[in-house]
Amino acid sequence: MNTNISQYPYFSLKGLLVAVSDLSPAYLGTAFLLIAAWIFRPILLSEAFFLVILRQAAPLGMLVLGQSIVIRCRSIDLSIGGIILAANYIASSAYLNGYPDYVIIMACILFGLMVGATNGILITQFRGSAVIITLAMSIVFVGVVVALARYTPPGDVPPLIRYFGSGRMNNIPIAPMIWIAFVIPIALALRWTVFGRYVDAVGANPHAAAISGIPYLKIMFLTHVLSGFTAAVGGLLLAGFVGKGSTDTGIGQDLVLNSIAAVILGGVNFGGGRSRILGPTIGAFMLTFLFNFLTSFGFEESGKLMMQGFIIAIAAMVEGMKRR
Amino acid sequence: MRRLIRMSDSRSGLSIPILAIPVALIIILTTMAHGFASLENLSNLISQIAALMIVAIGQMTVALVMGLDLSVGSVISLVTCMVATGGSPALTVPFCFAIGMMVGLLNGWGVTTLRIHPIIMTLSSMTFLQGVTLMWQPIPGGHVPDIFSVIGVGHTLGVPHSLIWSILCAVAFSILLNYSRFGLHLYAVGGNTVSARLNGVAVNRVTVSAYVLCSLLAVIAGLYLAARIASGDPKIGASFGLDSITAIALGGTQLSGGVGGVVSAIIGALSLGLISNGMNLLGVSPFLQSSAKGFILIVAICAQRRKTVGL
Repeated sequence: MNTNISQYPYFSLKGLLVAVSDLSPAYLGTAFLLIAAWIFRPILLSEAFFLVILRQAAPLGMLVLGQSIVIRCRSIDLSIGGIILAANYIASSAYLNGYPDYVIIMACILFGLMVGATNGILITQFRGSAVIITLAMSIVFVGVVVALARYTPPGDVPPLIRYFGSGRMNNIPIAPMIWIAFVIPIALALRWTVFGRYVDAVGANPHAAAISGIPYLKIMFLTHVLSGFTAAVGGLLLAGFVGKGSTDTGIGQDLVLNSIAAVILGGVNFGGGRSRILGPTIGAFMLTFLFNFLTSFGFEESGKLMMQGFIIAIAAMVEGMKRR
Repeated sequence: MRRLIRMSDSRSGLSIPILAIPVALIIILTTMAHGFASLENLSNLISQIAALMIVAIGQMTVALVMGLDLSVGSVISLVTCMVATGGSPALTVPFCFAIGMMVGLLNGWGVTTLRIHPIIMTLSSMTFLQGVTLMWQPIPGGHVPDIFSVIGVGHTLGVPHSLIWSILCAVAFSILLNYSRFGLHLYAVGGNTVSARLNGVAVNRVTVSAYVLCSLLAVIAGLYLAARIASGDPKIGASFGLDSITAIALGGTQLSGGVGGVVSAIIGALSLGLISNGMNLLGVSPFLQSSAKGFILIVAICAQRRKTVGL
């Protein structure tokens, strides 16, 4: 079902409608939101606000990169909540105080990779259900971090991480630049490399992929490692943005659900979908913009949660109906 | 003995290792934890796990048809808040059941007709309902009518009512699963959806019914919890989604469908309850307790043999 506008060489209303309805919900939603903001809250579109929103979207955007690839492979990664909290704690606690900043960054990333690898092994070798394995991993790390933080409370985040998370270069925030610097190579890799093609094949039909000699367990394993990596980078960006270590177990936990929402909004579903990286990335921006938009109307946590659940359901329903 | 061994590949999900977990825990705790075997602690244990047991039976019903219901926790929270602030129980209780039914119908409709993955569908209803609950009552409080504590947490002839309620639910569901056509259809759909459909089972209707039953049991658990804590708490149910899944996994119910039973759900809830109770008695930090539960969940899930990789 790869209809795109190039199949309709002459301009026709029907062709345009088909092309528009075939876009992921994220594109339409973003367009709708931008128009609504332009009418009701034009200040959100001013340069200063827009850059702040982009910076806010960067941690979520990083998580979405890994999550979308994992979901394409018919798996899911809910451990990112634990990785974010743990990366935050590693970056801000006194355990690594004497070391240079880049060592601390490497430690956080190494932790993310290790969690991803553990997820991958448990899911591919022990055949555990990805939902439960990754969720349980998250619970384990959240518990350990909160228990440790009672003995060694977190302090300040090192300056280099703060610079990445909230610094600016020529008045442009650095966090979105890091985000884009990861989006482009990963998008190209999924489109043009063998790994990307294998991910497509495994998602489309794992059984057929295995029979055709595609190392599909290895691919599943690698997607989880990648997701652990992007989650660690996202957690570092968030820590740099907040500036102080936090033992509040709420930090980053809303991002777990949002990452799944962004992926579904971006037109990716379990086993494939029409978009690779761009759709979910736009979805991450759309959600962040939406929450700012709602805040500007005075919505509280309850309203945002309802909105979030509603949006996930609608996006999934739209996709479900298209597949029928 | 041979019959016991053969049980391991039956559809009940029970096997010797799974039965051995609670037995071993009881033996270890009676010797190690001082005060475990006291009547007071055992009664406390029963009232602690009653809600989990009821929810686990519902979760198992959904697991039989290859589903998963994460929204039970939000339903529980919503019910406690409704009861605590809604006024007369004659009005709020039927209203809660109606809401439970609607949530179940919606989950089932999304999973069957729209073919949304159960995780995504119930995740979104979980989030939405949590928002509704927080809007209804942002902080814990309110007052649950006294009649709830009389019916829910009293004693009759020394038997705690929580035990009576969980036994009633368990017996009703045992009869439903083992001696009714609907029960047979549940196992048929979970065992092999395609051949169930070819044999004339109304697959969608059975699946939707499973989700509705699960939500209704969550409502019952919510009513019981409201009676127990005597106030409404918008976050009280948050841990129940995962805890119930942990419980059924510990009890041998296969999340890939078709294998499970009321006894296995109860054994699982009992094992999990014993683990929490034991860690409390041994003085383990509550944060490490949740870590330990997560670890146990991983081990229990990895011990299940299944063919599919991924979700």
